[in-house]
Amino acid sequence: MLDIDEIPSSNRRRRLGGVKEKPGITTDMNSMVDMAFLLLTFFMLSTTMYRPRGMELVMPVPDDAQTRAQEVQAVKASQALTLMALPDDRLYYYRGLLEAAAIRASNYNPDGIRAVLKTFVGETDKPVVLIKPHPDCTFQNLVTLLDEMNINRIGRYAIDGISQDELTLLQQLGVHLPPQ
Amino acid sequence: MRFNAVSRPKTPQIDMTPMVDMAFLLVTFFLLATTFKTGEVVGIQMPLSVAGLNLPMTDLLTISVDREGRAYLSMATPQARRAWLQRHGQVNQIAYTEEEYRAFEMLSGFGVPMTQLRALLQTPPEQRKRFRQAGIPIKGDKNELADWVVLARATIPRLRVAVKADAHTPYKKVEDVINTLTDLNVLRFTLITQPKKMSDDAGY
Repeated sequence: MLDIDEIPSSNRRRRLGGVKEKPGITTDMNSMVDMAFLLLTFFMLSTTMYRPRGMELVMPVPDDAQTRAQEVQAVKASQALTLMALPDDRLYYYRGLLEAAAIRASNYNPDGIRAVLKTFVGETDKPVVLIKPHPDCTFQNLVTLLDEMNINRIGRYAIDGISQDELTLLQQLGVHLPPQ
Repeated sequence: MRFNAVSRPKTPQIDMTPMVDMAFLLVTFFLLATTFKTGEVVGIQMPLSVAGLNLPMTDLLTISVDREGRAYLSMATPQARRAWLQRHGQVNQIAYTEEEYRAFEMLSGFGVPMTQLRALLQTPPEQRKRFRQAGIPIKGDKNELADWVVLARATIPRLRVAVKADAHTPYKKVEDVINTLTDLNVLRFTLITQPKKMSDDAGY
């Protein structure tokens, strides 16, 4: 690897008049470079550069059913929007009180629920959104809806279980649901 | 005469020194910046989200929920893991051996009922992948997940809890975990997600 330069004779000849001359020693660096880059590649691939990201979720204090019922009543029907996330990425929503005529279908695309929320937020003073995931909907569905809350800057929202009334009404509207 | 010069073409000499310098500089950087990918206890495809909250690297307890709804626990640092297991041993009157502590320190996560934990710790690391981890019991007569979370909070006062569920996990399985946490008055926790750009559509 380390070898005395082969060309010193010519060098010497060229620099004959020169000042002092160091013995020409060159090292073959190729293998070192190989190794360095091998290590470099290894570390680059094994490094996790990304840190986990997440979203903060604050749940309400678990309270008895009575206080919860009072809280629900405290929200005016006109301020409330309920999102129902169903299995197979289906999404239904209604504004105000639960009625068959109020239930609309939507989807998770930006022109779907985001547009709905945007108009809702624009029209409502102190909007409240209730997110009701069906037990069989995916976690991604919930996360997408929570995302939409952040995107539309809705500060007041809650996650609640989907009620039996809602399920019955959806089934009456012809929405296929898996048996409980 | 110039015969010699013709017979031997000049080989250009490249000075490799700066390249070596640079390569080693980068190696050093990556060497220091690396936190090795700890073998994940279970493969989880996180849901996509635009949320960008950075999670702490320490004082973090992650509850992973896989597609089938099995729960796994992982604690961020080895020191915390040891303290956690010590407390677990005290409370449940199990005298873990030094080897078991060491194995637990090295364990990035686990998902076994308490009764199987020692068996898991005694399994050599290279065979641990084949150890069938059934998940930490949540339902049934004893919510062991709750016990572990309580112990973790007692061990680390500033503990943050993160829920890392697979995007395809049915909500009811995640709900079980969330309900366990809220019942323990852990009301603020983090859902671990995978970043996506906002312009993307729903991302399915």
